[in-house]
Amino acid sequence: MEIYFLSLGMLLLGALLSIVVKEQWKFKVCSVFSFLSAGLMFIPAFGVLFTGMPIGRTIYMSPLLTGVDFVIDPLSAFFVIVISLMSFLGTLYANGYMKPYLNKGMNVSSHCFFLMMLIASMLMVVTVQNALFFLIVWEIMSLSSFFLVIFEGEKKEVIKAGIKYLIYMHLSVIFIMAAFVLLNINSNSLSFVTFTNYLHANPELSNIVFLLAFAGFGIKAGFVPFHNWLPDAHPAAPSHVSGIMSGVMIKTGIYGILRFLFFVGLPSKMISYTVLIIAVVSALYGVLYAITQHDIKRLLAYHSIENIGIIGIGIGVGMLGLAYGHPVVAIFGLAGGILHILNHSIFKELLFFAAGSAYLRTHTRNIEMLGGLIKKMPYTALLFIVGSVAICGLPPFNGFISEFLIYAGMIKGVPASEINLFIVLVLSIAALAMVGTMAMLCFTKASGIMFLGAPRSEYVENAKEDAPKTMLIPMTVLGFFAFFIGMFPQYIIAGVLSPVSMFANVRFAAPVFEGAVGLLGEISWYFLIFFVLVGVLMFTRFIVNKRSTKHTTWGCGYDRPNNFMQYTASSYADLFVSTLKPLFKRVSHIKKPKELFPKEAYYELEIEDIEEAYIVKPLVAWDEKILTKFERIQNGNIQQYILFGLIFLILAIIGMVYFGG
Amino acid sequence: MNLLINILVLLFIPFLMIGVIKKTKAFWAGRKGVSIWQPLWDFIRLMKKSSVISETTSWVFQFAPVVGLASVLFASLFVPMISGNAIINVPFAFVIFSYILGLGKFFALISALDTGSSFEGMGASREACFSTIVEPAFFITLASIAALTQNYTFDSFKLILENAGGYGILIVVLAVVTLFIMLLIEGCRVPVDDPTTHLELTMIHEVMILDNSGIDLGLITWASAIKMLIFESLIANLIIPASLGGWETALAYLAIIFILSIVIGTIESSMARFRMTHVFEFIFIMSITALIILALVTYRVYGG
Repeated sequence: MEIYFLSLGMLLLGALLSIVVKEQWKFKVCSVFSFLSAGLMFIPAFGVLFTGMPIGRTIYMSPLLTGVDFVIDPLSAFFVIVISLMSFLGTLYANGYMKPYLNKGMNVSSHCFFLMMLIASMLMVVTVQNALFFLIVWEIMSLSSFFLVIFEGEKKEVIKAGIKYLIYMHLSVIFIMAAFVLLNINSNSLSFVTFTNYLHANPELSNIVFLLAFAGFGIKAGFVPFHNWLPDAHPAAPSHVSGIMSGVMIKTGIYGILRFLFFVGLPSKMISYTVLIIAVVSALYGVLYAITQHDIKRLLAYHSIENIGIIGIGIGVGMLGLAYGHPVVAIFGLAGGILHILNHSIFKELLFFAAGSAYLRTHTRNIEMLGGLIKKMPYTALLFIVGSVAICGLPPFNGFISEFLIYAGMIKGVPASEINLFIVLVLSIAALAMVGTMAMLCFTKASGIMFLGAPRSEYVENAKEDAPKTMLIPMTVLGFFAFFIGMFPQYIIAGVLSPVSMFANVRFAAPVFEGAVGLLGEISWYFLIFFVLVGVLMFTRFIVNKRSTKHTTWGCGYDRPNNFMQYTASSYADLFVSTLKPLFKRVSHIKKPKELFPKEAYYELEIEDIEEAYIVKPLVAWDEKILTKFERIQNGNIQQYILFGLIFLILAIIGMVYFGG
Repeated sequence: MNLLINILVLLFIPFLMIGVIKKTKAFWAGRKGVSIWQPLWDFIRLMKKSSVISETTSWVFQFAPVVGLASVLFASLFVPMISGNAIINVPFAFVIFSYILGLGKFFALISALDTGSSFEGMGASREACFSTIVEPAFFITLASIAALTQNYTFDSFKLILENAGGYGILIVVLAVVTLFIMLLIEGCRVPVDDPTTHLELTMIHEVMILDNSGIDLGLITWASAIKMLIFESLIANLIIPASLGGWETALAYLAIIFILSIVIGTIESSMARFRMTHVFEFIFIMSITALIILALVTYRVYGG
């Protein structure tokens, strides 16, 4: 456990050092210290993961906090590994990505400081077992990520997105606080162990506590209908921050949900169905809107919602398995969900990094302006395609393995004892299949339009060379992980089954684990066959192939094709979007050509989030209407402010006398 | 042995199947038609030809046909073919089956976008869009059958009759309809798509491969023929009773493939392809039959 604190110390040391060293050295310091911290953190984390024995240390902080337990149990260990590894790759990538900003002479001290603080606070969030201290580090995490988002704060949309993020995070913390307060006043303690014991003894409280926590952590994770901050915050932040936030930080929300599931122990049917249904809706909603987006980072942000939905489906299926006492369903569902946490952080970070590299070279995030980047940036393009295949859940990459486990759980649960469980599971299977195909539509669009075909604008000419090595190396590492987990899942699954065994009854679990490992081992062999097949066919193709000549693309006999004649991202998605018209709010800006010799005309189609358009915006408008009535109070007159203060004090004293008793 | 026979099946039957379809169409049109071996000769000729590759394309374009072929060959391992047994019998086979076909489709789609042609983008858009409706229906059907038979491989198809009581025939018929529509969509046949049309604007699959030539085109035609054969094999599996012996199964299998090919040829001769907007309505029939199967299974397991 000392190593754990040493590792945290490394991060804080790095944070402080990065303030004092020269500008050019700042990100190097960050990477070095996060590397050291990750390396140190792996020692206890892997130990816990493989032995299954939690380790911990209680530290006496203050009379208010009393003893704060720092505990690494298998669930924490899993998250600690994901966070350390992914954050290190993020800081490494930042070296290359931030270079142009450094050259412009921007001050990055605070950015580096908050980056390290974010990593440290995330690590503490998943290991602290004291409610009050948890809230403190949770808040540090939210605030430091807020400062990272508003790095380019001089841009109006960035600061707007940042504030939106901050508001959502505080909504989130209200719910979490409510859940903790409820537990605290009932169990008279702040320690997680007491919470667990209390809820096991008094299960009648568990529904309301879990739902409050689910709402709070759901905002962080980005479940629909709490997802609205995601598509704004990710494009605003620099790419490495988007990668870390989407890949790792939103997973702390999932951690919270799992932790509360652990408190609850045996979830009721009601909350299990709630989680599953919200997760299915999130997955469908996220991918549906991702298809309509043309800003690559916004598109990826919507895909985070989708993938959080898939993780939620896994957890929901697992909870249903627990609630109905079906260990196979529970273990497969939870294992799929938890493995998808790791998988999503791998390919989402890869995709954000690859998108960031393209942005760095072309200076645009609008995929309609790109095209043919594969010729200028071959490695980035290859890695983006790898990430795309992985995120669609296609074999032999990692996304398939977790989705396969979730499917397996659902299909195993299908011969169910109860009719509603049966119907819900079959429809969830169909929904997951639909999410997969829609993701395919979306990512063939993203990778095809961005990297393949011919350039669509001069932006592509900006790209002279591929991304620098400091950016390509972390991306290659991530691509390798995606491939390795996809090909040899049987070696990874042990690390996932360890946290799962915290939830499932171990007596039932052991044979199921063996079954799961065996099944994945078998699949791994089949994928090897597939690889051999591809290799042999590729080889034969090049042997048999006589000769290839180059010519322009077939244009129906027209021999002067133009880059603007290509299919665009909008037109690629249009058939799908127009089929599902009622689900979108289409805002079009048209200037029709007029007169005899029209000078200018344009058509622009924007698709707005229906939740934002019909729920959030009216709420905000209504809020503004009421709050403007109070504007008169804020008149800048100090004397009046003191008067308000006095009135408040008197009211408080009266209240205390009356109610405090 | 099973593997060897399957390789022979995959080498010859897909081309013969296409040949039979062509012969049927010729029959209804009052023509003599080409020999049923012609698709195989076409394939061999394509393998010998040199190819023309668009200047716009990258490695993706040449990689995609190979992945496409590998994915259908690999998917065929999970499907019971002429011997009535799949080569790889693993639980949840249909998930692996669908996703591996998805991999081939993914590369076909991006290879179409790789050419930078507006036609090919259009075809890719349509193909991607249709599969978003097809897959859920397929999964509902398979999951319902798995629930009914408590079997998680494609063998479950043979167990429907004994598990479903009085509804068995109805479920089998509906499953055949679902899979037949899926066959028409995935195989790009009339009324979803017309493989022989001349007009690029109306195509789906053919337009995606406009720029492929020579060996690439050969691999793609073979792959799409195998894909059709796979779906026909699934239908054959639904129909052939489990009680038949080895030789009878093989004969019944070949007969069903032959009859299905004639049916496809007859459909193509008797109707035109739908307008693109009506194709969706056609595909939704598949979702409806899948949901009816779900309802029947629910009633069978929980109602009666």
